[in-house]
Amino acid sequence: MTGIGKPLDRKENRRFLTGGGRFIADLDVAGVHDAVFVRSSLAHGSIHSIDSSDALAADGVVAVLTADDLDDDSNAIERTFYTLDPAFVEEASVFLAPYSEPLFARERVVRSGEALAMVVATDRAAAEDGRDLVFADIDPLEVVADIEAALEVDSPQIHPDIPGNLHGRFAVKVGHPEAVETGHSVTGRFRVHRSLGSPIENRGVIAEWSDGKLTVWSTTQIPHVLKSFLCEALGLSEESVRVAAPDVGGSFGGGIYPEEILVPWAAMKLGVPIRWLEDRTEQLSGSRHSRDQVIDATLSFGSNGKFEALSMRILQDCGAFNPFGITLPYNSASHARSVYRIDNFSCEALCVATNKTRNTPVRGAGRPEVIFVLERLIDMAAEETGIDAVALRRQNLIRAEEMPFPMGMLYRDGVPMVYDSGDFPAQFELALDISDYPELKRQKAEANEQGRLLGVGVATHVEGTGFGPHETAVVGVDFKGEVYVHTGAQPHGQGLETSLAQVCSEVLDLEANRITVWGGDTALTETGGGTFGSRSAVTAGSAVLEASRQLRDRALGLAATALGSESSQLELRDGLVTDGKRTVTFAELALVASEDEGLPLEATIEWTPPTVTFGSGTAVALVEVDQETGLVDVLEYTAVDDCGTVLNPAVVKGQLEGGVVHGLGNALLEEARYDDQGQFLTGSFMDYLLPTAMDVPQMKVAHRSHPTPLNPLGAKGVGEGTTSSAPAAIINAICDALGVQATEMPLTPERIRGLLTGKAKETAWS
Amino acid sequence: MVDLTDGPHDALGIELNVNGELVSSTVPVRQSLADWLRAELGLFSIHLGCEHGVCGACTILVDGRSVRSCLMLAVQADGTDITTAEHLAEEGGLNSLQASFNQHGALQCGYCTPGFLMTATEYLREGGTPDRERIKERLAGNLCRCTGYQSIVEAVASAAEELDDQ
Repeated sequence: MTGIGKPLDRKENRRFLTGGGRFIADLDVAGVHDAVFVRSSLAHGSIHSIDSSDALAADGVVAVLTADDLDDDSNAIERTFYTLDPAFVEEASVFLAPYSEPLFARERVVRSGEALAMVVATDRAAAEDGRDLVFADIDPLEVVADIEAALEVDSPQIHPDIPGNLHGRFAVKVGHPEAVETGHSVTGRFRVHRSLGSPIENRGVIAEWSDGKLTVWSTTQIPHVLKSFLCEALGLSEESVRVAAPDVGGSFGGGIYPEEILVPWAAMKLGVPIRWLEDRTEQLSGSRHSRDQVIDATLSFGSNGKFEALSMRILQDCGAFNPFGITLPYNSASHARSVYRIDNFSCEALCVATNKTRNTPVRGAGRPEVIFVLERLIDMAAEETGIDAVALRRQNLIRAEEMPFPMGMLYRDGVPMVYDSGDFPAQFELALDISDYPELKRQKAEANEQGRLLGVGVATHVEGTGFGPHETAVVGVDFKGEVYVHTGAQPHGQGLETSLAQVCSEVLDLEANRITVWGGDTALTETGGGTFGSRSAVTAGSAVLEASRQLRDRALGLAATALGSESSQLELRDGLVTDGKRTVTFAELALVASEDEGLPLEATIEWTPPTVTFGSGTAVALVEVDQETGLVDVLEYTAVDDCGTVLNPAVVKGQLEGGVVHGLGNALLEEARYDDQGQFLTGSFMDYLLPTAMDVPQMKVAHRSHPTPLNPLGAKGVGEGTTSSAPAAIINAICDALGVQATEMPLTPERIRGLLTGKAKETAWS
Repeated sequence: MVDLTDGPHDALGIELNVNGELVSSTVPVRQSLADWLRAELGLFSIHLGCEHGVCGACTILVDGRSVRSCLMLAVQADGTDITTAEHLAEEGGLNSLQASFNQHGALQCGYCTPGFLMTATEYLREGGTPDRERIKERLAGNLCRCTGYQSIVEAVASAAEELDDQ
């Protein structure tokens, strides 16, 4: 059978394996013109003039559009990605400065790469030629490229209406951390540098305005949200806009971007379909930036090793614009204690403006940073107390019998935060078992004797998943008897075409390959949330489950009338309903529904989670460090994860492994760098290093499933957990190998050489 | 052969074999092979992930060798024999490598997949063994952000084993 929990091969695989995927650049829109953007080379400056005359005279160029073509009111995105409950705002002392991000820079530029003009031409080459002929005269202003400098009293102000370069702030407290006096604590200032989402497909937008209807194709994760932004920005009615995502080549972080408004606006203004295909430098420099925190943290503990208090102060470099408010540092705060019981906790966070690209949630979204901090502090505490690092963790784990465990603070949705399900100790022991932890320690000891640097690291994570609001599912039967599932979720690699079909298959007792799943198109479902924040298995999965049940009940009711039997005596299977003697087909029932009720045989559910549900996990890493080069080889890696009910183990395995390697990149390779003038230095894949097949360890992944009571499937999200624990596990292993306490990530070879040299000096001095 | 010494030209004629068919065309001299194959022949398995020769999503076989089609000009392909992912299996089917990718879950968003298939095809045609380290080394020029590579390495190793058995 093909229901929930079966390791089915993914339905979407075939088209991707045969060149049949259709991504944004593959769409054929008649008469389409190409747009490219002229972007600021300076990070901060006043715009004196933009001269387009030479570009307009160039072959193929049909228009050069700038801020002058938009009035002030419509040249900005001001809608944010959060709605905060007033009680939450008060409880967490939230302050937020106004958000207003211009579509085109007008008067001032505040980051390098900010759009100054759009060149539209008959083809992309002509548009790029035209771009080179646009001359922007910009007077440089003093640049704020450092998060700590940005907060100094005499720092230049990036926005007149954001005094002190402070986008936002909050403070939370649990228990009485200030009153804890154990006499034992470890403290550090930790730096988690900026990294990027870096999907392999770049972004793209195509817009067509025809007969008063706007159709927009975008590499978005959130088509319904984009639609509502477009209606607002362009003054269009809901009925006149359709947003659809084609196949999308990954994302790992999201939002709504100025280009997604500008391209449709230009298509309406010029009366021709317009396509914008981002290039890799634009993607790396201007799309999905994340992490970038400086965290001061202290962990206090008793002489017996019991954790008593954790306090943190987070500086988050949000860049020039902050559409996500406190989302990222608040995610940090709410995941900072991971699977451990720490009754006293405080976290203050400042969202700081700099002349950089905006910071957005990227896989992990605030969690890898604090998990790194916490798990480093625990290893430091182990050194301090002389208690074994694993024993120290073990004794502080929240026990299974303490579940559900209240964390004493609100989650970002305003609901009291509770770890709803799981068995952290069992999960922890399973990871140690699978990795054969004692054997890893033995290998380390043996290698050390041979003068090689091996190390073992352990880390854990929790992940609040399935964030609201709602998700929509429509499950129906057409006149041919084919079953379809339409959802507001927007798969871009998650395998939802398969796992959502499995949920429906389970209810209808019908092979999953006879169920077609479509998502990511506002024409399919009136409402929808989208796919982000490890939410779709939870939200879309639950919506599909409930809609499938409703459809089944309706089909049984119609069949009962048609067959003249009680619906309780009917059996529904393989697209048929039978009372044991006679049968009706789904196709016949769809016809009956249409003729008798004038309605399609269809059920629609908008499912809203009560709050997030917590996935969790444990990771064990074995690494070897080359002392000469500072290169790290991750030799073995074990990840145990609890995502509740597993819809498709093959899909979940893929999410876990992919998440580990994203975290490995964050730990060792990936750093989006700016110089002190705000110039982006890592604009190619030669400069911004993603992990390759060569960097990947032998990975063992396993589940320890504790279904949540918070949704009818029992599912918890799985997309980001392993990314959150991997940097901590790997860096702890490196520290174990080197005998140092690192406080920075990524640990690039140069930083590791620095640690080794520093240690050598220390030894020489002592 | 195109005579490049007799220039300058905006466009030149080329004749080549693409996926088993002879194709003649006049191409702008500055057009990349990737852009031409996509625009003129609709070979959308060729994905342009970076256009600077690093991500490998545009990898195709030119005369049996893996090539980044974003770094080669269409005029340079005159007289060559080109294979893309569309031509790996009979219409509607999967060859053993593609089937192995399917079985091992060696793809998620699918964007990098055709490039990996072409790199791995070259490896297998050269008689590549199931040795994981060698496979990793060969695949290191293709970037994938979704899978974490382990499933791709396993898929190629398993396809190599299958060929070994034959």
